[in-house]
Amino acid sequence: MGIESLVSHVIEKYNYWMAVILMLIGLYGTIGKDNLIKKLIGLNIFQTAIILFFISLGDVRTGPLGEGGIAPILTEHLPWSAVEHAGNEATFIYASPLPHVLMLTAIVVSAATAAVALALIVRIYEEYGTIQEEEILTKEIERERAE
Amino acid sequence: MSKRTVSKKGEREAGKKEGREGADGEERDVIVDTVARVMIPLSQMFALYVMIGTEGAGGGFQGGVIFAASLILLATVFGVKKGRDVLPEGENAILSSLGLYIYAGVGLLCMVLLWGAAEYLNYGAFPLPVEYALRRGYLVTYAVEVGIGITVATVFASLFFDLAWREDVLGRDEGRRDL
Amino acid sequence: MIIPLDLALLFFLVVIGIAALTVKDLLAAIVLLGAYSFVMATVWVQMHSPDVGFTEAAVGAGASTALMIAALSRLERWSSD
Repeated sequence: MGIESLVSHVIEKYNYWMAVILMLIGLYGTIGKDNLIKKLIGLNIFQTAIILFFISLGDVRTGPLGEGGIAPILTEHLPWSAVEHAGNEATFIYASPLPHVLMLTAIVVSAATAAVALALIVRIYEEYGTIQEEEILTKEIERERAE
Repeated sequence: MSKRTVSKKGEREAGKKEGREGADGEERDVIVDTVARVMIPLSQMFALYVMIGTEGAGGGFQGGVIFAASLILLATVFGVKKGRDVLPEGENAILSSLGLYIYAGVGLLCMVLLWGAAEYLNYGAFPLPVEYALRRGYLVTYAVEVGIGITVATVFASLFFDLAWREDVLGRDEGRRDL
Repeated sequence: MIIPLDLALLFFLVVIGIAALTVKDLLAAIVLLGAYSFVMATVWVQMHSPDVGFTEAAVGAGASTALMIAALSRLERWSSD
């Protein structure tokens, strides 16, 4: 494999690189931030980055500029003039619907986890009076010493 | 969120007369009030369109979320207490379980009417006087999707109300919170 | 998929994501997360998956943001980092 084909290979898959970058941003937010709401935001970014990766897997490109491929809708239901252009016998290349369905479930789960995390954060704030992780840990240590 | 604390007495009287008044006696903004009054029914219509506008599976969850978003808009503009008055806690519990009962009940009805345990959720074989694909489409669209939508809408609205509701130190419910 | 539009939207996503994690006002961070979700929904729609984009616009940008703001009304608004 020559260096040129390697570089073009890397550039062609730019969607995956962007998904990895977003995933690392989310990981940094989940681990490096002190505020619990910031951690939740990082978790959300992480989840959407993974969903972006899967949607990129399902998408197809037939040309160098990204042309080709349609949404996975039955062609007799397509209202677009593209169908008339291509004729009824034309075959369409469409994006794979399987990652779409899986990721629909993932979005629903992300909303549910966000709601549970928010309820936990509110409860933690009622217990400790703060949502900064360091302060929560210091208060916890103080309580243990007092006992 | 800002609130108008100083207002002329005449304006305030007019606001009281038209019912434009928050839970704590503050006058609400006219623009926010009017836009909410227009947008809430429109978003509910859109939710119904997403839910039952097309025949076939899909759209129940999204329509329910959009319906819940209209209730959340109502609660943010008119106060959480007013929102809870529109959808009280008891009705919320009844409705959120009603959707589940609709979903499971239609499947069980298939099982009972067709006399076979393997017919659970087999909507196409349901004895309706139309052809197979139409029967399946009607049942999925108008029964199953509506059930899913009711459950999702009420559960999401209840999540919002439970997160925004707050009892202050005296144990007295504080309907409207400033963000 | 239109490649220049895709590149611009993905760059925008990275910028909004970093901004949502670095801003100290938590209300601004939550609203930036809503904007992030909406741009992400646009990316998915132009990747030929309109169902996923629609769901993300309804759930991620709409309901999830509203839930977070409702929870923030009971918390402190300012973060230390």
